[in-house]
Amino acid sequence: MSDGSVKILDGNTFVVSDTRGDIEASLTDPTGLFSYDTRFLSKWVLTINGDRMNPLSVDDLEYFESRFFLVPGTGTIYVDAKLSVIRRRAVGNGFHEELTILNHADEPVDLRIRLDAGCDFADLFEVKDALKKKGAYSARAKGGQLVLAYVRGTFGRSTVISSSQPARADKNGLSFKIRIEPHGRWSTQLDVATEALGFEEMRRVEDPGRARRRMRQNLARWIEQAPRLESDQERLKATYRRSLVDLAALRFSPQVAGGRSLPAAGLPWFMTMFGRDSILTSLQALPFTSELAATTLRALGDWQGLSVNDFRDEDPGRILHEMRYGELTAFEERPHSPYYGSADATPLFVVLLDEYERWTGDRALVRELEVESRAALNWIDEYADLQGNGYLSYERRNKKTGLENQCWKDSWDSISFRDGRIPGFPRATCELQGYAYDAKRRGARLAREIWKDAALAEQLEQEAADLKRRFNRDFWVEDGEYFALALDPDGRQVDALTSNNGHLLWSGIVDKSKAKAVAGHLLGPRLFSGWGVRTLAEGEGRFNPIGYHVGTVWPFDNSFIAWGLRRYGFKDEAAIVAAGILDAAEFFEGRLPEAFGGYERSQTRYPVQYPTACSPQAWSTGAPLLLLRTMLGLEPQGEHLVVEAALPSAIGHLELLDIPGRWGRIDAFGRGRVDVEAARRA
Amino acid sequence: MGERAQRPTSDSIAEFFAELGRRGHEPLLEKARGSARFDVADGRRTERWLVTIDKGDLRVSRRNAAADCILRVDRSSFERAVAGKLNLMAAVLRGEVGIGGDERLIVLLRRLFLKPPRRRRPRTARKKQ
Repeated sequence: MSDGSVKILDGNTFVVSDTRGDIEASLTDPTGLFSYDTRFLSKWVLTINGDRMNPLSVDDLEYFESRFFLVPGTGTIYVDAKLSVIRRRAVGNGFHEELTILNHADEPVDLRIRLDAGCDFADLFEVKDALKKKGAYSARAKGGQLVLAYVRGTFGRSTVISSSQPARADKNGLSFKIRIEPHGRWSTQLDVATEALGFEEMRRVEDPGRARRRMRQNLARWIEQAPRLESDQERLKATYRRSLVDLAALRFSPQVAGGRSLPAAGLPWFMTMFGRDSILTSLQALPFTSELAATTLRALGDWQGLSVNDFRDEDPGRILHEMRYGELTAFEERPHSPYYGSADATPLFVVLLDEYERWTGDRALVRELEVESRAALNWIDEYADLQGNGYLSYERRNKKTGLENQCWKDSWDSISFRDGRIPGFPRATCELQGYAYDAKRRGARLAREIWKDAALAEQLEQEAADLKRRFNRDFWVEDGEYFALALDPDGRQVDALTSNNGHLLWSGIVDKSKAKAVAGHLLGPRLFSGWGVRTLAEGEGRFNPIGYHVGTVWPFDNSFIAWGLRRYGFKDEAAIVAAGILDAAEFFEGRLPEAFGGYERSQTRYPVQYPTACSPQAWSTGAPLLLLRTMLGLEPQGEHLVVEAALPSAIGHLELLDIPGRWGRIDAFGRGRVDVEAARRA
Repeated sequence: MGERAQRPTSDSIAEFFAELGRRGHEPLLEKARGSARFDVADGRRTERWLVTIDKGDLRVSRRNAAADCILRVDRSSFERAVAGKLNLMAAVLRGEVGIGGDERLIVLLRRLFLKPPRRRRPRTARKKQ
């Protein structure tokens, strides 16, 4: 991998090591064995007769398994070719490692094999922010086993290291003294098991062999059940396959889901349940699999906010932002049990439920979630209209550890005026109004057709129409002909030009008469880089092509922008955005990063990855899927799926076969006809 | 409620379950079906309550029977729970509440501990022009 680390994962357990298979983590470095946001192993170093290993190659068999081929020796000039070492590692409850040593010589060899082990039991938050621990550590060696433990009051986490071959254990690791006959081999099974006091019953503990078989079958089934993609363009097929496999890897089975899975946000920071990310990824993936959406809706519904709690920024009806499982959350030093500080997840919950039903026809789930959906719709007006002006806005009540920006652009400087000034709170960002509008429209449909509540449907439709009318008046920047990023606490337009305009098209809140100007900006030179639409337009005060939300290009953002362009009939423009992002994917071997630089395409020739971007990341993984939907123009209409392709000509022929939905399975075909270069010049 | 939260009477737990029995039906649990046993430890003694939920209909008994999910908790912690002062997830993570069985049902049980929500702000006439 590009950063010299090897990652394997299953659910929210993952291992990050170097290419030798060794782990030597520092407090600020996210390597090691992590499970439920806690590091269970921070040191794991193999030596033979005192020598470290040299990597020959790494085989990433599957996302949950890897194999390291090694030889002992410290330098690259001299390697002792008489011995081969293979470490085969799979994630399970912790991880399982098969260590094999082969003697290629005609003589027997006597070897001292050593595995140094240690653990800091850091909370992932501590790794991010380099914080100090409050509990006590212990290490106990007994009967060839090493138990590393950390205790703080009733909180206990431990790691048990054991071996199938007899080992001598001490507080710092395991040792073996062995002899291997000429051309013989020696092998041991090492188990690194994680334990969490009191929390044990919530976690699934599985035999490692069975876990591997389950994961392998599960992945094969996942790929098999997804639609098949055929195209003249080989790299599009590769990107599609990469997306399916990464999405499988990023699935996560939270406690509430009964073995079903939903998308976790991304490795390494966000292997957990996130409201916004799980919803948007489920939306992207709907034409390919509806399982993620169903599980996301159920899990988020179960955890919906119940009361007003300032520490957690919780209100009745609010959909959670983020759930965490580490020590800081356990002791309520962080509010993530769960934390509710997101202003968009709640309306998007209703949007996803409606879109899910349109694809699947699963009315039972819509009825099952009626209570939660009504509470979510109620939250928009009852708890999120902080100014009483009819707009959804946010301001954190947890001033210490809460999130300042509760929209997807959540970094501190993401919301600014043209001249770079940062507005006060509450902030009513524009896309939130779009999501609220869409949630009301879609909620009205569900109320009328499924909950049989015509009065609610009418009320929601009226509120939506009223919101749209006011929005197009209050957010429209007359001299620029686009929508302001936000309204500040005094109702003034926060007037920077941003990619948020694309989300507004997706939501449908934009007046038809204004759409053409908006599309023009999205594809214009200030926002469009050639690879995609920048988060903030060139020329704005805070523009920086490698600023997290102030100039970079986000593949997920662009997939929704493309969807929005299609919604308003801008087929060619949608194809241009899709082509740019899919071209960029090729430079990352089909795995789009969270974000890349907003440099002009003609200037850099390749997309520059944002320095600390998560990868793989769920909604980037979902971006090619939504772009495929958009280019093919897939739209459920009643019991049918409408196909109306508008493909970039470079793609040539495209077939998406066996698209699942309420119609059973349907095939979609398209031929590339949009000349992207010519259309851009037009 | 505020007073009880600060100075729990010795039977605030019994009172909580008695109230559940009187409530009879909880609309927020209409999709739930199953039984939950609360094992409340007080020194060496354990008191048990069994709550069965059938599409929102609640029945409470003191039977020591098998259940779809079990929560084990100290009396003092549970007193904080019935006063609406214990976050279930954090308590489970730090080992203060032990849980087993149907995990989805356990998450839904949070809705039994709901206090009447206070409005964030008094609803005023909107300026919508």
